[in-house]
Parts: sequence; C-alpha cells; structure tokens
Amino acid sequence: MSTLQPAGPSAQASAWLWWGMFAFFSLVLIALVWLWIHAMRRDPGQVSDREAQRLQNRWVVGGGLLLPVVSISVVLMVGIALGQRMLALPLADGEPLRIEVTAHQWWWEVRYPDTGVVLKDELHIPAGQPVDLQLISDDVVHSFWVPRLAGKMDMFPGRTNVLRLEADKPGTYHGMCSEFCGVGHARMHFVVEAHLPADFELWLQQEQGND
Amino acid sequence: MSPWLPVHPAQLVFGLVIWSGWFVLLYGGLSVSCELIPPAEERGAMTWLNGLILLLGAAVAVLLLWLARRCWRAAPATDQGTDSGRFVARIAAAVYLTSALAAFALTLPSVVMAPCL
Amino acid sequence: MTERTNQPAEELHEELERVWGNQPGWRAASAVNHTTVGLRFVVTGLGFFLVGGLLAMLVRTQLALPEQDIIGPELYNQLFTMHGTVMMFLFAIPVLEGAAMYLIPKMIGTRDLVFPRLSALGYYCYLFGGLIILSSLVLQIAPDAGWFMYTPLSNAEFSPGKGPDFWLLGITFVEISAISAGVELVVSILRTRANGMALNKMPIFCWYILAMALMIIFGFPPLILGSILLELERAAGWVFFDVAGGGDPLLWQHLFWLFGHPEVYIIFLPAAGIVSTLIPVFAQRPLVGYRWIVLAIIVMGFISFGLWVHHMFTVGIPQLALAFFSIASMLVAIPTAIQIFAWLATLWTGKVAFRLPMLWVLGFLIVFVAGGLTGVMLALVPFNWQVHDTHFVVAHMHYVLVGGMLFPLLAGFYYWLPHVSGRMPSDTLGRWGFWLFFGGFNLTFLLMHLTGLLGMPRRVYTYDAEMGWGWLNLLSSVGGFVMAIGVAVIILDITLHFRFGRKADCNPWNADTLEWATPMPASAYNFASLPDIDTRHPMWEHPDLPHTIEQGHHGLSEVMYERRDIFGSDAITGKVREVIHLPTNSWLPLQTAAVIAVVCISLLVKAYPLALAASLGVLFFALRWSWHNGAHPVASPWRDDDPVDPPLHSRTFDGPGLWGMVVSLMANGTLYVSLLFGWFYLWTAAPQWSMPAQAPISLVPLLASGVALSLAVLIYRRSVAQLRDGSDARLQPLLWIAAGLGALHFALLVWVLISAPLTPGDLAHDAVLTVMLYYLLLHGGLASIFTALQAMRVRIGYVSLRLPYEPVVVQPFWIYTLGVFWMSFAAFVLLPMVWGAG
Repeated sequence: MSTLQPAGPSAQASAWLWWGMFAFFSLVLIALVWLWIHAMRRDPGQVSDREAQRLQNRWVVGGGLLLPVVSISVVLMVGIALGQRMLALPLADGEPLRIEVTAHQWWWEVRYPDTGVVLKDELHIPAGQPVDLQLISDDVVHSFWVPRLAGKMDMFPGRTNVLRLEADKPGTYHGMCSEFCGVGHARMHFVVEAHLPADFELWLQQEQGND
Repeated sequence: MSPWLPVHPAQLVFGLVIWSGWFVLLYGGLSVSCELIPPAEERGAMTWLNGLILLLGAAVAVLLLWLARRCWRAAPATDQGTDSGRFVARIAAAVYLTSALAAFALTLPSVVMAPCL
Repeated sequence: MTERTNQPAEELHEELERVWGNQPGWRAASAVNHTTVGLRFVVTGLGFFLVGGLLAMLVRTQLALPEQDIIGPELYNQLFTMHGTVMMFLFAIPVLEGAAMYLIPKMIGTRDLVFPRLSALGYYCYLFGGLIILSSLVLQIAPDAGWFMYTPLSNAEFSPGKGPDFWLLGITFVEISAISAGVELVVSILRTRANGMALNKMPIFCWYILAMALMIIFGFPPLILGSILLELERAAGWVFFDVAGGGDPLLWQHLFWLFGHPEVYIIFLPAAGIVSTLIPVFAQRPLVGYRWIVLAIIVMGFISFGLWVHHMFTVGIPQLALAFFSIASMLVAIPTAIQIFAWLATLWTGKVAFRLPMLWVLGFLIVFVAGGLTGVMLALVPFNWQVHDTHFVVAHMHYVLVGGMLFPLLAGFYYWLPHVSGRMPSDTLGRWGFWLFFGGFNLTFLLMHLTGLLGMPRRVYTYDAEMGWGWLNLLSSVGGFVMAIGVAVIILDITLHFRFGRKADCNPWNADTLEWATPMPASAYNFASLPDIDTRHPMWEHPDLPHTIEQGHHGLSEVMYERRDIFGSDAITGKVREVIHLPTNSWLPLQTAAVIAVVCISLLVKAYPLALAASLGVLFFALRWSWHNGAHPVASPWRDDDPVDPPLHSRTFDGPGLWGMVVSLMANGTLYVSLLFGWFYLWTAAPQWSMPAQAPISLVPLLASGVALSLAVLIYRRSVAQLRDGSDARLQPLLWIAAGLGALHFALLVWVLISAPLTPGDLAHDAVLTVMLYYLLLHGGLASIFTALQAMRVRIGYVSLRLPYEPVVVQPFWIYTLGVFWMSFAAFVLLPMVWGAG
C-alpha cells in the first residue's frame, strides 16, 4: 500500500513530486537551522543601526520574500503540470471504462453498468487503460484510496465523484477507506485486480455468465 | 481623522479587505457559474469564464497598486512623538502591494486550467 | 501626564493592594483581576493538556503493535476524538489566551484588562464547559466522530448517543470564553495603552495579540453557527446537512474549516509573538524588521482565512477552485518566512545569551519550519491527494502545532516564570526536560511521515501485520513515552523552582518591555503610578522606571473613592483621553456561568422547560450585570469632585463599552454572514435542494415589522443626537417610544413566525428561514429590552445629559438589528421571489 511504490501514472506523478519537494525542502531546512545556530554563536561586535537596517533588508527580502516566492512558483508550475495526469479529463479518443462504486458502512459495492455484474470489496480493471470510477456513498462520508495507483476521492451521499484510475501492469493492489466512517473504518479494505485487457474481457464475460 | 486618509490605521487592513472580497467573488462566482452556466468541457482553459477571471483579477490588482502608490507617496517624512503617520502609511502601502500581488497570483492557474472539471 | 503625590510608597502600595486585590480564601472566586484570571486560564489549560496527553498515550499504546485489541474501536474512537478536542479547544487556545491576559495590561502600562468581569466569565465558561465535556469521557459516552465531527457520521442517525451533543454544546459553551477574550483584548490594546504609546511604539507582542484577537472574532462564529445547526438537526430534526430535504454534508465541512484553518493561526500567532519578544532580549538588541513583522502579521491574519478548502482537497471540488486555495496556502509561507528571517537578522546582529528559553526557541525553529515545509508540500493538490487523511498529515500537524505553539510556550514559561513567582528557573533539570521532549517528539513524529507515505490512514484503531507499518508504529509509541517522561521532568522542574529557585533580581533578563517594571511577583495593581511612554524599549532607555513608578511619580497615583481607575487612551496616538473606572470583585461572572452551565446540561439531557427557564436566568444575570455600571452606586456614582481632565469615561460619549459593543457586533455579524453563506450554498449546491411552491412567509406583516423597526431606530438615533446637541429634555419619552416600537416589531415578527407554514424538519429551505426568523426575533427583543432599561435608568438618574454614555453604547446594536433585518428581507424573501418569477 505504499505511495512510494507507484504502479500507475497518477501515483507516479505524486511520487515524483514527493521526492523533488523532499530533496529541496530538506536542503532549505538544514541551511536555515545551520544559519540560525551560527547566528546565535557569533559575536558581531558593534553593529550600527544603518548596518542592521541593510542586513535586515537583505535577509528579509532575500530569505523572507525571494526564497519562498521562487520555491512556490517552481513547486506550483511542476505540480500543476504533473497534476493534470491525475484528473479525469476527457480522453483524446474513446471513453474510459466506467465502474460504479458505492460505499456502505463498512463494505464496498462495485457495479459494472450495462452488464449487471456486482461485486463486494473487489474491483477488476484492465491494465494499461484508464478507468473512471463513479463514487457515491449510501450512508456517511467514505473515501476510496488505492495508494499504488492514484490519489483518493471522497464519497458522499447524494453526489457522485469521479476518480480516474489506471494500473500500468497486471497485479493485485490494496485499497482502504480513507475517511473516518465509524467503528468499522479500520477494517474497510478492498482489492483491485488488474488484468491484461484480453484477460479482463474474459473475466467480465465469465462474471456476466455467472449472474 | 477620516479613515480614507493614508495615515489612518484603518488603511492597514483595507488592501486585504479588498483582497478578501475578491477571493469571495472569485470562489463564489466560479462555483455558481460552474453550477448554472458551465462552459463546454472540450474548450479546456480557453473559455469566457477563464477570460473573465483574468480580466477582473487584473482590474483588482491595478486598483490595489494604485492605492499602494497613493499611500506610499502620502507618507510624512518622519514620525515624531506620538505621530505614527509614516509608519502607518508605509506599512499600508506594503499591504496594498501584497494584496495586489496575491489577488493576481490567484488568477494565474486560469491560464491553463479548465474552470469546471 | 505626571502627578506628584505626597503619599509615601508603602502607604500607596497598601491602599492600591486593598482596592485592586482579590478577596481572601474561597471568596477569591469572585476575582476579576487579569493576573489572577490569566493564571487560572494557564493552570487549567495545563491540566487539560495532561488529560489530552494521557489520551494520546492510550492511543499510542494501542497502535504500538499490529492487530492489538487492548482498546477496541468504540473506545478508541472516543479516545482520539477527545485527544484532538481537548488539545485544540481546552488547552491550546485557553493557555495562550491566559498568557495574553496576564501579559498585555502589563506590557501596555495599565492595571487591568478593560472588561474584568468578562474575563472572569470567560474563565468560568471555559472551566464548566471543559468539565462537562470531560465528564462524557468518564461516563464512557464521549463523542466518537472525530474532533472535526463530519456529518452524516455525527448526525442523529449514525451517532444516536449523546457523545456529539456533549461536543456541540460543551464546545460552544467554551467558545464563549474565546470570544470574550477576543473582544476584551482588542479593546484593551486599542484603548488603554500608556500615555504616548502610539501604534508604532507598541511592543510587537501586542500586534500579534491584536491580530489573534481579531481573528478569534471573525474565525469562531462559523463554527458556533455550524454547531447550533448540527445540534438543531440532531435534537429537533431540522434539515441542514441531510441530503434528503435539501441539506448538504459539505456545508458542515465548509463551516467547520472556515473556523478550523484560522484556528491554527490563532494558535500560532501568539506563540510567534513570544518568539519575537524573547529574541531581542536574549540578543540584547532591538528586533530587526519591526515594520516587516507588523506587515507579516497583518497579511497572515487575513490570508489564513482564505485557506480552508485545503482540508477538503479530496471532496470533488473542481480543479481551478482548488488551485485558488493551493496558491493561497503556499502564499501564507511568505509572511512566515519574513518573520523567520527578521528573527535571524536580529540574532545575527546581536550577541546571544544561550539560556534555557533560547534552547526552546531553537527547538521551535527546527520543528516548526519542518512542519511548515511539509505544509507547503500538502498545499500541492496532486501530492495532497495521496497523503490526505494519512499519518503524513498527523505528522505534519503535530510538527506545526507542537513546534509552533508548545515549544514557544515553554520558552515563554521559563522566561516569565520569575515574573510570576519571583524566582529563577533552574538550568540543568530544564535542559534534561527539553532534550527528552525534543528527542521523544521527533522519534514519535518524524518517522510518522513515512508511515503515511507507506499508506497508513488516520483514525484506524489497528492495522494488519502484512502492511509493514509495525516497526514504525512501535518506534512512534516508544517516542511517545519518552516525550511523556520529558513532560514529567519539566513539570517537576517548574514545581521545584517555586520552592528552591534562586530569588530573581529586578528585570533578571534585562528585557526592554514594561511588564518587567512591575514588582515580582506582580502586585494586584501592576503599577503604583502609570508612566508616559516615548519609546519601544522603555526598560532599556529608562532603567529607573520601576523605582519612579513605585514612588508614585506618574499618573493615577491617587486612589479616589476606593475605585479601580485606569487611563483610557486614543487608539492611534496613545494620548490619554479618559479615566476608565473598572468594576471590583464580583460574583456575577460565576453566577452567570453557572446558569449557562444549567442551560447546557439541561439541553444535553433534553429537559427543555428547564433549559428555557435557565436561559431566562442567564438573561436576568446579564441584565443585572449591565445594570451595575456607570453611575450606579456600586460602580461610579456622580460626585461633584469627579475628575474632569481627563474625565471619567461614563461621562463622555466614547469609552470601552462602545468599542466592546462594536467588536462584539463584528463577531455577531460574522455568525450572520455564515448563515447567509449557508443559505446561498445550499440553494446553489445542495444535491436535492427544493423550495416550496408557495413562499411561506407572508409579506405584509413582515414589511410592517420592518417599518416598526426602522421607526424605532430613527427615534433612538434622534434621542442620542439630542444628547450630543446638549439636551436630555425628551430623552426618557423618546427611549420609551423606541422600546415600544421595538416591542411592536417583535410582536409582528412572532405573528409572521407563527402564521408561516414552515416545515424545518422536512426542508432545509424552511429550516434556514426558521433560524433566520429566530435570529431576528432575538435581536429585536434584546434591543427593546435594552432600551426600556435605558429609559428606566434615565428616570432614576443614572443616564442624563451629564451621563450620556450608555445610550451611545446601545445604539450600534439597534443599527445592527436594522441592517440584519433588511439584509435578511433581501436575501431570504426578495431574492427567491425575484429568482422564482424570472
């Protein structure tokens, strides 16, 4: 369930952002702490008011204004660009597969529209293809999260949210409810099974046959 | 002393009050527009709504910049005794300037983002 | 403004102690003095901190190993809900409030806060409300829906027990103390500063507290409204957050976080104020960048109100709207950085004494900046979508809250301890306490970032062994125990110092601000005479101030008629304008708070007739309180030798009461605007919003009610205008007429309410309208009662041409009521009519 072992484009984007920000901000923190400790230790001798004023301007403008503005701009530009991957934007060609997920206290109801297939606590998707999950809740607020594949999306009674999900390769991916929903919250797990597209079609037909 | 005078302490907050009003208009206006008259999805960020946001943001920023300049220039030469006019006017100018930049910064994502997705 | 007195210092001290001191023994419960009340807030807050810490230890014990069953989910959910609730509402805010109440009058050179009975009321509301909430834990029916109480989980269907009611009623009770502290601090800082303390000569701490107090005024009301609405939904079945009927659970989230985000800046700002105060002292040079910091404080105060949706990035709001909040959340890092670099510059240009408070300040820098940086990460939406609601956020928030509040608080404790006790803290035991706490804290929470990144959600009572989170949780739990030991050592240290600490010299840290000019421990009256101020660093530039103050060389060095007097000053220049007379020890705050507690408890057990009776009791005590003011014999009756230059405030047209009224109306107005927001939000966004075919409110009686109100206000304003013009000939009749018109307005509104076919239990539309009508009724009714009382006071002689103050204080209330009436008419009645017709 690690976000640092991404298995889909959405989670990958997030992981890159994490590592980039972690590296940069760790440097900032270390530099700042070092400067602070150094400032405490040094004896500056006599400092005139004018010198203090000039120093003030340099530190406050350089560190208090320029540093944050530049950092924020970089983070936002990279972040917004990468973030577009995570959105359920219209595809260049065709439509993504739609799956309806309804959250209950404390289980997941998964429906494949137009096929009559209904599952409990599991999803099956084709690997390498984007899937749109139509998320809604039957009772309280829940949240759908498969950390290795994508970010999370909350599920509300009365309104539908859409989460774009895609797995790079076939495999089993764990998910958990990520919005506190009562005594069963900690046990509200599910799995996502990604199949090769051909295998997925087979599986879907089998399931339809079963019902 | 009238609160509209650049040296009145009320000037310290007016810039951010205007920014707050702009924020409410921006978020509220966007939400209501998306609810009632959303532009077509395929247009991405090239919609009337994005254009309006950028235009209004620029207008608010210009107003705030003008107010900043007004305050900065009206600052008395020094603060003597219990006068604090220079202190107030200079900081008020900085608040107006900050508000202008913040008001404009908020609108930048509308250059690339679709408004209602 | 200097006066010489011939009284020897000893006599003056005794007289002032007698007039300003508390009553002895258990009667000290009637104390209204800011030093006493402030310390009570701090000590009680520390008590709640220990409770919250104990709850955390239980949580960590359960999470130490996978699949443990020491604590089952039912109890666990109560524990983490109460941990958050106790720490945020019963520790963080009250402790900082208490510190501010203790320090501010001393720093601005006066003897007390400007509404002493309100301070005491605030304390008792906090104490009783806190005890009520804690009792739920003892009874094992504590709230268990999280400290943020999201609906629908917290509504009557999914949380049928009393837990959430304890939260909603108890917290609202406690919030009275926050709002009252907010009002009081704003007015005190603006109107009671030492003569000559212009805005640019205020200690920087005062700027921080002024901002904090204003943020409380605007930040708390959305939660108060939300709590009222949720409690109405739970107890009376009215629809606000339930989708069927036109409500929306998201409305709760908006209202909660509109409060919740400013709340954490309300917590951070005073702590940053402590840092800004200590650094110049330990660097032995003035703060570098005072004006930059003032700018940063103002910017932070406002921008923090524009961040709240960053707690809701995963609810499905469109990306462009999220981007506004993402940008604003990052922008707030700029004023933070400005402060940090101003501090850095101060340290750089000074020779720093690395005493124990500075060790805590260093800890603050490391922990808070780390937390702030993870905050910038969280502000980026794509990353947020992965780590929201995981232990990454738990780690972040503890870094910013503990780092940004607890560390500076401890620095401040050690710094001001000599002021409170007259003794110096130790160094050795204190350093042990620091390192244990710092080490334990980082062990607990640093790795927790990884725990979240590895996928562990929040608020889970256990987890499977295969997840691989076991070792991380074990280390975090061990760290928790180390922290607890650190806290124990600190408590031991502080306790021992009261007994064994070395006696402190005057101004032991060689500080620059005025609180160090009082005796140590502080006397009941702070300053035997009130000095003029001409600099930001009075104790550095006039080191003999403690002596000259004590000798009575400055202002108000004579006690007149056993009265507690302070100076009232101009808000901008700080020049003295009035003598403000303050109330002495009083039982009214305790009595009022006790009756409010009865209201709270009777609502909890659903004894509604009792609740109604107790509410009337609250009104009775509040009106009695307001009666004991001004020229009433208990307060400051007219005497021919009353001071005239400057005059007593109740003989003028301006004074603290007027400012207090206006500031309170700002809080009230925020509550009303939150209701307006709720109305427009549900109308435009609620999934199943519906309006009845026929508008339920009949127009004619409503308009008639509005006309009566408008006339009442016109007449009232006329009466006040005549006072200003120099005539009180028709004061009494005009006031009676205004009160009568107000009563007519009230009666017509009751008619509107009774005759409207409103079904608040079925439709959110009707529920909001009903709340609006009750709100208008409350204000119209109170305005009439206040005015009738004023008319009576004219008859008795407490209000007249030479005592014109009180009608001026009531006037803004009328204007507010009028504004809210017509605004409601436009938004709730006119607009739907026009929209429906179009």
